[in-house]
Amino acid sequence: MTCNELRDYYELYTLGIAEDAERTEIGEHLERNCPTCVPGVRTARELISMIGAAADPVQPPARLRKRVLAIAGGQKSSLWNWSPVWAAVAAGLLIAAIVFNTSAQRASRELQRTTALLQRLEVESVAQVRELAGLHEALAILDQPDARQVVFGGATPLPPRGRVFIDPKRGVLLLASNMTPAPSGKIYEMWVIPKGGKPVPAGLFQAGSDGTALHILAGPVDVATTAAVAVTLEPEAGVPQPTSTPVIAAAL
Amino acid sequence: MSLLPLLLAIEFGENDADLVRRLQKRDARAMAELYDRYGRLVYALILRVVRDGGIAEDLVQETFLRVWNRVQGFDAERGGLGPWLLAVARNRAIDYLRSAAGRMRNAVEVPETDHPAMFADMEKELFNSDRVRRVRVALQKLSENQRVVIELAYFEGLSQAEMADRMKQPLGTVKTWVRTALKSLRDELGTAVVA
Repeated sequence: MTCNELRDYYELYTLGIAEDAERTEIGEHLERNCPTCVPGVRTARELISMIGAAADPVQPPARLRKRVLAIAGGQKSSLWNWSPVWAAVAAGLLIAAIVFNTSAQRASRELQRTTALLQRLEVESVAQVRELAGLHEALAILDQPDARQVVFGGATPLPPRGRVFIDPKRGVLLLASNMTPAPSGKIYEMWVIPKGGKPVPAGLFQAGSDGTALHILAGPVDVATTAAVAVTLEPEAGVPQPTSTPVIAAAL
Repeated sequence: MSLLPLLLAIEFGENDADLVRRLQKRDARAMAELYDRYGRLVYALILRVVRDGGIAEDLVQETFLRVWNRVQGFDAERGGLGPWLLAVARNRAIDYLRSAAGRMRNAVEVPETDHPAMFADMEKELFNSDRVRRVRVALQKLSENQRVVIELAYFEGLSQAEMADRMKQPLGTVKTWVRTALKSLRDELGTAVVA
């Protein structure tokens, strides 16, 4: 098709509702940086974007900002190994304590506080690195074109709800909200349930204080033989087979 | 009706390039600014699609996670940050709707509709309040059927065949409504878009 014939399909393409023939043609024109179709699709994209921007304004809940900012918090710690930095800070504090405090007792207290601070920062650093690794793995699963998505709990407002993504190569990703924090001595355990078989343990996790949870079972999964993914509340050491009624059940 | 999100977008519009550069340097404060600038627009769009606050929150988080991980491929000087965010948000939300309804995932999602490179050289102040007001007026000027098909396409991601099924109308009729509606919007808003 000529560029002139494609003009009427730019908005349909941008909306994602062009027929296969036109979509393929426009894709090819964009691929070769067509001087007519590239600006044409850009203008169409601007037009379609404005429809989205015209949605009625709504104030999001304050907690959402914190959830979004957690994304960058985890990433930050991945690029910098903060332990040496904080160690240097701690060392500085220690020197200051020795120079300015003639009292050995006060210096000792400073040392204890500094050591505690360092330990806490190291624990936080490790936790952030783990969280980051989880987020990257989650994104990898979300990005897989073959990943199958199952929604659970969507029709009811109170029980846990969310989505399970299953990718044959990368594994299983569970994203849930509205979860009750596990009581003391308990933990959530995920199960992959094969068709006609017993549940297979798929890892332990805790829900966050805001009721959200992200859990990943990394590694290949045979989607064709998997009947469901479920979550139960179990003793904190985990169990080889579920001992309680599932709080989440996502049938494939 | 509050236009605060849009006003915020305008207020900070000139600094999008700086913001992108800081995101690419993994500056956590840039993420906070990105959310403060576009979070309400993104949330409003996703909520309009999925109509559930809890699910919308999850999808907003997914949207910003995706942008954070892909911002290295975004051209800070040429890119339209707001339109890109909205495209990612729309795709996330529609993907959820399709999944919840047992429909196929959006097969054309990533490479064709929300890749950062697709948002180069876009108008910098696309979301200013005057333009958005003109969009609302233009949508109101459409006939009922024309407006419905545009909303089904944009906010629910329905194909033209799916719209025909939903509206119990012949496919040809639906296609005519879609094309007429888009032409009307193009005519009404063309100067707003390319100004």
